[in-house]
Amino acid sequence: MIKKIYLIGNPNVGKSVVFSRLTGVTVISSNYPGTTVEIAKGYLCLNNEKVEVVDLPGTYSLDPTSRAEEAAVSLLKEFSKEEIVVVNIIDSTNLERNLLLTLQLIEEGFPVVICMNMCDDAGHRGVHINIVKLEELLKVPVISTCALTGKGIKLLIERIKEAVSSPRGKFTHQERWLEIGRIIEQVQWLEHRHHTFREIMEDASVRPVTGLLMAGGIIYAAFKITRFIGEGIISHITDPFFINIYQPILEKFSSFWPEKGFWFHLLIGDLINGKIDFKQSLGVLTTAPYIEFGMVLPYVVSFYFILSLLEDVGYLPRLAVLLDNLLHRLGLHGYAVIPVLLGFGCNVPGILSTRVLESKRERFIACTIISIGVPCVPLQAMIFGLLGKFGGFYVSGVYLVLFSLMIILGIILSRFLSGYSPEFLLEIPPYRFPPLFMLWKKLYFRIKGFLIEAMPVVLLGVCFINILLYFKLFDFVTAIFAPILHGLFGLPKEAVVALTVGFLRKDVAMGMLMPLGLTANQLFICATLLAISFPCVASFVVLAKELGLKGLIKSILIMVGISIIVGAVLHFVILR
Amino acid sequence: MKKISLAQIKPDEKVKILEILGGSNLESKLLSMGVYKGKLVAKLSHIGLKGPVVIKAGRSILALGHSVAEKIIVERE
Repeated sequence: MIKKIYLIGNPNVGKSVVFSRLTGVTVISSNYPGTTVEIAKGYLCLNNEKVEVVDLPGTYSLDPTSRAEEAAVSLLKEFSKEEIVVVNIIDSTNLERNLLLTLQLIEEGFPVVICMNMCDDAGHRGVHINIVKLEELLKVPVISTCALTGKGIKLLIERIKEAVSSPRGKFTHQERWLEIGRIIEQVQWLEHRHHTFREIMEDASVRPVTGLLMAGGIIYAAFKITRFIGEGIISHITDPFFINIYQPILEKFSSFWPEKGFWFHLLIGDLINGKIDFKQSLGVLTTAPYIEFGMVLPYVVSFYFILSLLEDVGYLPRLAVLLDNLLHRLGLHGYAVIPVLLGFGCNVPGILSTRVLESKRERFIACTIISIGVPCVPLQAMIFGLLGKFGGFYVSGVYLVLFSLMIILGIILSRFLSGYSPEFLLEIPPYRFPPLFMLWKKLYFRIKGFLIEAMPVVLLGVCFINILLYFKLFDFVTAIFAPILHGLFGLPKEAVVALTVGFLRKDVAMGMLMPLGLTANQLFICATLLAISFPCVASFVVLAKELGLKGLIKSILIMVGISIIVGAVLHFVILR
Repeated sequence: MKKISLAQIKPDEKVKILEILGGSNLESKLLSMGVYKGKLVAKLSHIGLKGPVVIKAGRSILALGHSVAEKIIVERE
C-alpha cells in the first residue's frame, strides 16, 4: 500500500518538471540549482487511488548541508519505508554525479524507482546509457524519461508500483565513488565529439574577460528589451483599450449619474476638467484598474518574460560566479544574486529564495538588502510611468541611490553582524534551450499569480482609501505626520496618505501621488522613500516567517532609520 | 612532485586531487558533489585575483569560492 511518493534528486535535474507531469500541478522550474525552496505537493492516480506526490528540494546526498536539503531529508523519514516510494530523478547527462544519492537511497532500504531524466539532451551531448544494464546492476526499476516533452512518464507511473527496496551494505562516500566508477564503466558510453558552439559559449561565460563582456551585454540587453516590450504593450494594447474603449463607456455611465455623491466618489472618483482622468481620478473603476492593467501589468509581463528566459537557459549561476567577488564584500556570496534578481520581480519570491543561502547571517543581510534596495516590478513600472516624463535622469537617480544603499548597507552589516559566511560552492548547469511552450507556461503561471495576489488588494485598497478620504479620516494621521514629512523630507502633507498606503502596495501608493502635482524632485524623493521604507504587507509576512520576530524587528529598525536619513539627506541636497 | 593548491595552478591545467583541508564538513560537501581524493579535475578559469575558481570534475562544472580552492591540494599530472 503506497501512501506517499517522494521525488528526490540532485539540484537541477528537473524534479519539478517531472512533478508537474505526474500531478498536473504547475510549479516553477528553472535551470539553476535550488529553484524549489518550498515543498510542493500534488496527487497522482495509482490503481484508482489518489496518492500524494511530494516534490523535494534538490540534494546531493542524504547528509544535508543546507536548510533546503535538511527539509528534504527529514521529510523522507516521516513515514515508514513500506508506505512510501522514492522516485530518484537523475540527470542523464551527468549520471556519475547523480549516482551517489542513488546508492545512498538504495543502501538505506528505501523502495526506489529511478527516473533517468533529460534522456534526449544526453543523446544530443553524445552520452549513451545502457538502461537495462543499469537496472540489472542496481536491482531497482530504471526508466528513461524526458519530462519536458512527457516522454517516458507513462511508463514511469506504471513502474512506480514495482519499486522495491534492495538494501545493500553501508559504504562510505569514498567507497561509493569507487563503486560508481565501476558502474559507469559498464553502462555509459561517451561519443567523442568536438566542442559545439554551445559548449564554447558555456566556457566563455565563466572566464573573466569574456564572461564580464557577456554579462554586461546580457544585462544591458535584458533591461532594454524589458522596457521595449513593456512600453510596446502600453502604447499598442493597454492605452488604446483604456482610452478608446473603456473611457467612453465609463463616461456614458457617469453622465447618467444623477447626483455625484459618495458612490460616485468611490467608483469613479474626481472628474478632472469634467472628464475622467485615469491617472488622477482615483476611483475603484478608474484609477485602480488603470494602475494594475495599464501601468504595472505590461512591465510584469515583460520582466518575467526576460527573467524566465534567463532562468531556463541557465545563465544566472554564471552571473553568480562573476559577481562572487563583489558580493563577498557585502557579506554574501555569488549565489545571492539569484534572490536579488527574483526580488526585482516581487520581493516575496526573492525573500523566500534566500533559503538557498546557508547561514543565518547571510539570510538576514540578503533579506534586508532586498527589502530596502530592490524595488519590485510594480513599483518600478510606476517610477517609469511617473518620473519618466521628467527625464531619464530622475529614473536613473532612484536606481543609483538604491544601488549605493545596497552596497553601503551590505558593507556595514557584514562588518557588524556576527556569524559566518559559508564557502561559495555552486554547480554550474549547462545551457539548455527548453521549448517555448515551457516559457509561456511559466510566464502564464507567474502573471496569474501576480493578478490573483495584486487585484484584490488594489481594488479593496483603493476602495478603503477612498472611504477614509471621503469621510476625512486621514486628517488625523496627516496632522501627526505632516510636520515631519514637510520639515524632514520637504513633501506636502497629502503625501502622507500615499506613503502610508505604501505599506499595502507600492504601485497604488505611487498612484496616489499622481494627482498631487508634485515637482520632479519631490516625486523623486517619494519614489525613493517608497522603495526603501517598509516593505508591503506581503513581503512583511514572508520576512517575519524567514527572519523570526527578532530578525524582523532588527530589519525594520534598519529600514526606518535609513528611510529617515536618506529622505532628509536627499531633501537637503536637492530641494534646497 | 610539488603540492600546490587549486587556487595557484593556471587555467586549463589538469590535476589530481591529493588532499582536502578545512574540516570534514567541507570535505563531505565536496565529496557529495564528486570532488574527492584521487579525482582528476581540470581548472577552467579563475575570476579575478581573489575570485572563485571554476573547475570541471567528471561531467560537472563547479564554481568554488577562492578560500575553498585554496584548501584543495593537488598535484600536476
